[in-house]
Amino acid sequence: MLFKDQILFVLQHMKKNKLRVTMTVLATMIGCSFLIVLASIGFGIQETMRNEILNQEQITQIELWGNETLSDEDKTFIEKIEHVNVVLKKESINGYIHSKFEDREGDSNGVFIDMAAQKKLPTNLSEGRLPEAENEIIVGYHYAQSLFNETDNAEIERKSKAAQEQGSYYDGSEEGYKGEILNKTVELQFVDDATEEYSEPKPYTIVGILKKPSYDWYIDSSIMFSDTLKNAYPSITTSSTTLIYVDSLEHVLPVLDILKENNYQVYSQVEQLEELDLFFLIFKLGLVFIGTIAILIASIGIFNTMTMAVTERTREIGVLKAIGASPNLIQRLFLMESTFIGILGTILAIGVSYFISFLANAILPHIVSYALSDESIMEHDITFSIIPFSLIIIAGSISILVAIFSGWRPARKATKIQVINALRQEL
Amino acid sequence: MIKVDSLKHTFTIGKKGKENRVEVLKGINFNIESKEIVAIVGKSGSGKSTLLQILAGFLKADSGSIIINNTEIAHFSEKESAAFRMNHFGFVFQNFQLLPGQTVFENIELPLKLKGIRQPVRKKKVQEILKKVGLMEVEDHYPNELSGGQQQRVAIARAMITNPPIILADEPTGSLDSQTEQDILLLIQQLNKNEGITFVIITHDEEVASIANRKLRMSDGFLVGGTKYAF
Repeated sequence: MLFKDQILFVLQHMKKNKLRVTMTVLATMIGCSFLIVLASIGFGIQETMRNEILNQEQITQIELWGNETLSDEDKTFIEKIEHVNVVLKKESINGYIHSKFEDREGDSNGVFIDMAAQKKLPTNLSEGRLPEAENEIIVGYHYAQSLFNETDNAEIERKSKAAQEQGSYYDGSEEGYKGEILNKTVELQFVDDATEEYSEPKPYTIVGILKKPSYDWYIDSSIMFSDTLKNAYPSITTSSTTLIYVDSLEHVLPVLDILKENNYQVYSQVEQLEELDLFFLIFKLGLVFIGTIAILIASIGIFNTMTMAVTERTREIGVLKAIGASPNLIQRLFLMESTFIGILGTILAIGVSYFISFLANAILPHIVSYALSDESIMEHDITFSIIPFSLIIIAGSISILVAIFSGWRPARKATKIQVINALRQEL
Repeated sequence: MIKVDSLKHTFTIGKKGKENRVEVLKGINFNIESKEIVAIVGKSGSGKSTLLQILAGFLKADSGSIIINNTEIAHFSEKESAAFRMNHFGFVFQNFQLLPGQTVFENIELPLKLKGIRQPVRKKKVQEILKKVGLMEVEDHYPNELSGGQQQRVAIARAMITNPPIILADEPTGSLDSQTEQDILLLIQQLNKNEGITFVIITHDEEVASIANRKLRMSDGFLVGGTKYAF
């Protein structure tokens, strides 16, 4: 029998039992969409968390831990490792910096930075340039906003009280200096945390402003000094960190390995990503397993439909065999029918799953934000469901294979029908 | 054309553990020549239907030999039997055995489809045969819309669409009235004469058997009368 005729033959029979076939296709569709949507949640959450990590810090950055300051010898060794671009020393000042500008004052964290190394990195400034002299500084994106005068303080106090009464919190973002701060001179004092001793006030020129932090909630009012200034303040204590920048993402792990082999305590977000990927691989496998159970339940429907089809068509099978149809052909015709049911159900399921996924991503953030009374959730880029092509292939294959397998036994039963018994059946 | 030798068959019937063995064919020998009409007659339970089923390959004989066109078919597998049936036999049954969901055209076309013949060729062949059996007017009708005689004509048309050398007919007029019976018997005679098809007819009706060139009479699993061999 020509393949085209086999298809037409099967379609003709499916058409005759429209209702039963439609219900079975629907059951398959529900099972398969359940699998796709369930697994898509795993993909969605994983993607959201990955993005979260990738946004946190530069992903090609390796952090070197340890209490001792990095020696020049160590620095040279690390710089010689292949694919290491920059070794950047940062020294966070223990204590804080008191700023005065016009009638405004504010407190910030301070950091000494190796500006020569920083220059080799892609710019981290939103405007201006890096300091070239000791009396030049760069400030955080929100530095100007955190300089308050007395009017601002009174206003903040008033708004905080009002917010407190309503059970919320006011962060003072509406006050602060609104003018242009770049190229302005501010008076700074280093304040020792423990003794509350203020250093001699000195003027510094703001030559650069850092980029806005990737998190909306993070207020960056820090001040960055050139590390050459540190010699002028020998009494200031610092906590140092060293950041190693690798040229590209795929070289982070090999560089990490070399550093670990040489007994450096290092950490990179990439390691966290790897652990995250492993965790989500297991998580997604679990979801696929649960979803497959739904498909298996749908397969019972296919099995029933096909068994009914074989029973109903016993006489027809007998006639076909009598006029020369081989057992293989009979089996193939029934297997094709269950495969068609599987394919139809899967195609519909793919469409339905994309629709549900779209709805979930559009509506769920609103629902979660409403349920938790937290509007900031809407500001985060949360994806609840993602359907990658690989998921379609995996779920589609599972669904179609299960459909074929469900039709296999009824198809075998059809081949075993005896012509004489079949022809004896009443019309 | 057909040579049957020492053919035996036993049925096992009854509940498991209390089975009875019934010997239905007890050593049958006969031959049939090309273009003959042979009637196998006998009472109910004489074994004539079993003989036809074994000839057709629906049942396997316990022992003996069946040679058709120089091919031993008694020990064929199910798959070999199906392929042999497709090329050598046409079937006509008492209750027509047409597929109710398919039109007259589609029913007749079915064996050609199974043989893998393309649609334009099928269409031409079916229309030729519809003309021969006088069913041009009803080609798009469904079997339940036809009379008994018309349905049996469709069944005969389906049996001969692949030009088989032999048509096996099991009580071909058993469900028909006497006038229609005459029409069908006439059609069989015409097809035998004009197309050269060999007919093996199983019947208990002497009138049907009367159109045959030879009668083989069966009783209690034996061939007891008639001319067993064509000369």
